[in-house]
Amino acid sequence: MKKLAIGALAATALFGQVTYERLLKAPSEPNNWMTYSGSYKSWRYSSLDQINRQNVANLKVAWVQQMPTSHRIEATPIVVDGIMYVTEPPSNVFALDAATGRPYWHYKRSLPAYNVCCDAVNRGVAVLGDRVFVGTVDAHLVALNAKTGAVLWDVEVADRKTGYSVTGAPLVVKDMVITGVAGGEYGVRGFLDAYDIKTGKRRWRFNTVPGPGEKGHETWPTTGPHANSWKQGGGPTWVTGSFDPELNLLIWGVGNPSPDWNADVREGDNLYTDSAIALDVDTGKLKWHYQFVPHDANDWDAVQIPVLVDGDWQGKPRKLIYWAHRGGFYYVLDRETGEFLLGKPFAKQTWAKEIDTKGRPVRLPNSAPTVEGNVIWPGVQGATNWYSPSYNPLTSLFYLTVWENKGWYLKGDPKYTPGNRYVGSVPDIDISDDQGYGAIRALNPKTGEMVWEHKTQTKPWSGVMTTGSKVLFGATGGWLNRSSREDGEAYFFALDAENGKELWRINLGGTMASNPMTYMVNGKQMVTMAAGSAVFTFALP
Amino acid sequence: MVMLGAAGLAAAQTTSPQATPAGRAAGEKIFRSHCASCHGVAGVGGTGPNLTTGVFYHGSTDADLYKNISQGIEGTAMPDQFFNGVQIWQIVAYVRAISAAPVKTKLPGNAAHGAELFSTKGCSGCHLVKGEGGIRGPDLSLIGSQRSVAHLRESINDPGAKVDKAYWVAKLITKDGRSRSGFVLNQDTYAVQMLDFADGLRTVNRSDFKDFGVDRGSIMPSYKDKVSASELDDLTAFLASLERTREKK
Repeated sequence: MKKLAIGALAATALFGQVTYERLLKAPSEPNNWMTYSGSYKSWRYSSLDQINRQNVANLKVAWVQQMPTSHRIEATPIVVDGIMYVTEPPSNVFALDAATGRPYWHYKRSLPAYNVCCDAVNRGVAVLGDRVFVGTVDAHLVALNAKTGAVLWDVEVADRKTGYSVTGAPLVVKDMVITGVAGGEYGVRGFLDAYDIKTGKRRWRFNTVPGPGEKGHETWPTTGPHANSWKQGGGPTWVTGSFDPELNLLIWGVGNPSPDWNADVREGDNLYTDSAIALDVDTGKLKWHYQFVPHDANDWDAVQIPVLVDGDWQGKPRKLIYWAHRGGFYYVLDRETGEFLLGKPFAKQTWAKEIDTKGRPVRLPNSAPTVEGNVIWPGVQGATNWYSPSYNPLTSLFYLTVWENKGWYLKGDPKYTPGNRYVGSVPDIDISDDQGYGAIRALNPKTGEMVWEHKTQTKPWSGVMTTGSKVLFGATGGWLNRSSREDGEAYFFALDAENGKELWRINLGGTMASNPMTYMVNGKQMVTMAAGSAVFTFALP
Repeated sequence: MVMLGAAGLAAAQTTSPQATPAGRAAGEKIFRSHCASCHGVAGVGGTGPNLTTGVFYHGSTDADLYKNISQGIEGTAMPDQFFNGVQIWQIVAYVRAISAAPVKTKLPGNAAHGAELFSTKGCSGCHLVKGEGGIRGPDLSLIGSQRSVAHLRESINDPGAKVDKAYWVAKLITKDGRSRSGFVLNQDTYAVQMLDFADGLRTVNRSDFKDFGVDRGSIMPSYKDKVSASELDDLTAFLASLERTREKK
């Protein structure tokens, strides 16, 4: 209750105004959930502890908001001072009463034709001052009035006709709103942008595929028939990154090179695809990068959430990044320099013998797609993906959703035409004779060793969240709205974060592909998870 | 990228703008790598329908074909495809080309006699046809529209050759010693939802399992030595005649 009192005080004093200072100190206001991952460090952790391991089994539905959309919800809601801002896919926004789920306003975007690889989705909004920011599938960034939903400005981030879209939640830093782009299946040239929150004017752009004269361009063909492949080189930035205010660094993940599964047209390492990048947030200039998969041909984007932790590393205090990558390795990087510190598999993988001491994977033979097809672990959706991990400071464990699965990788035609798929074949995601399984795993972040796992029949598309009472929330997977014969299930569950023991579950009956979050309103801790086209919120009776 | 998903763009055109020699050639290339595993390399069908008959049951305009390829067909095994725009129009152009001059081959065999055999040889004990029959095998009411003749023939002689996952049979023994068998309709972390051949729809908790396995073969016996060559023709003719009636426009 002590935490509640402090949070309520802060909320009252600053009602309606989300300042940059409040965002910096977001963890000290657990009543609110003010950024995509809950804080700039992206722990997806809340110190709220009203719902605990003893009483979590009593959780009941507090409210449900059914959205008119037929697309699945991938958003993490933002909650500020009792108001929930959540996107309705493709690119609409609801402001809801966080206590009841009743809508205050609804921004409904009128959309032209758009190009998205994988359903028209959106992962949420960002807030600052009296403004709400949302990216759209037609590749715009829009600022809305937080009290009315009125459009304050609407700028084009990129040309939707060439395959760009915005699906990720923006991140507000200082007086800027940072957004990435999607389009890695359309041969876009990826970038990360910063916009002035007042005017929508662009402050800077960092191209994730360097052009001629820029450092890193030499990792693309510069002569010959494929000398222009960098222009369609991919490297999208479709999942929200993290921010280190002390180092003034934005840490962001970069997606796959294009075309995904035929790398013949892009000899070289293909920087900065499949990389972690660290940018000076004021200028957008690259401070360092670390590439997880040079010359990727498996679509193993590095669009995971960078988890920033200050900790002891081999006897010395160090600013660290914990990163479980889609290719199946768990990494620890130095946040100041990007230095590689650890790389250890957290799931079965058959593509790298190891990560060498310099951080470069030592490839195994037969680890790229072939014309005839090649079975490789992990499958095309990786051993984990864009859904969020969690770091809990009380258990000092790193939690993530894992897929144990293989893929059938085919290499096909890499022909580029603007606005069309540019993928070079399509691998099989679910191999019917062995679909694999899913798990929630807890890792010792210092070693990458697994501490416990909770296995699931299906492979979850949802992330995890942990709390100050050492409760973990997660979900099972599969598509419930598709004609595929894949098994689908829709359990939202709570585990004991110390040992993985299941404490509670409920069948929500709709595809789950988002991340749990928590907040407090009227003295009650609420836990929210989307399933299908509905947002479910739970509380103790 | 996230996953295969619904294609974003609806077809604005009504005829394929790729209906050119180059477009058809490109479509054939895609067809061979993405469609042939079900529809056959030449499009004459396999586990998926024959596309060369000139008859399309889910809409026969180019725009219908575009929609069916990009979005899949609800209630069938036809999945959505990871393409849109030009590439789907190329597939449409190719499919249109191979279906342009339909040849209705006269099958050997007597369908009426096949229908009799279907009852007397025991087929109807497990298979539904127009509402009559058992439920231990696939509903065959529209099988002539869904499968190639070659596949029908193969399935009578060698039922285990290609078994759709929906008809894999679960064999289950619970801790109380009870045996169950049936089709797995869905599985989750905690339980299996099945069509128990004896008990009907049942959910069985994994915590009650003593032994659980899924047989990927077929429970159907081979009819290779149970029907003569001419009877096989008759049965095949009967099954092939079980076609979807076209909706009148």
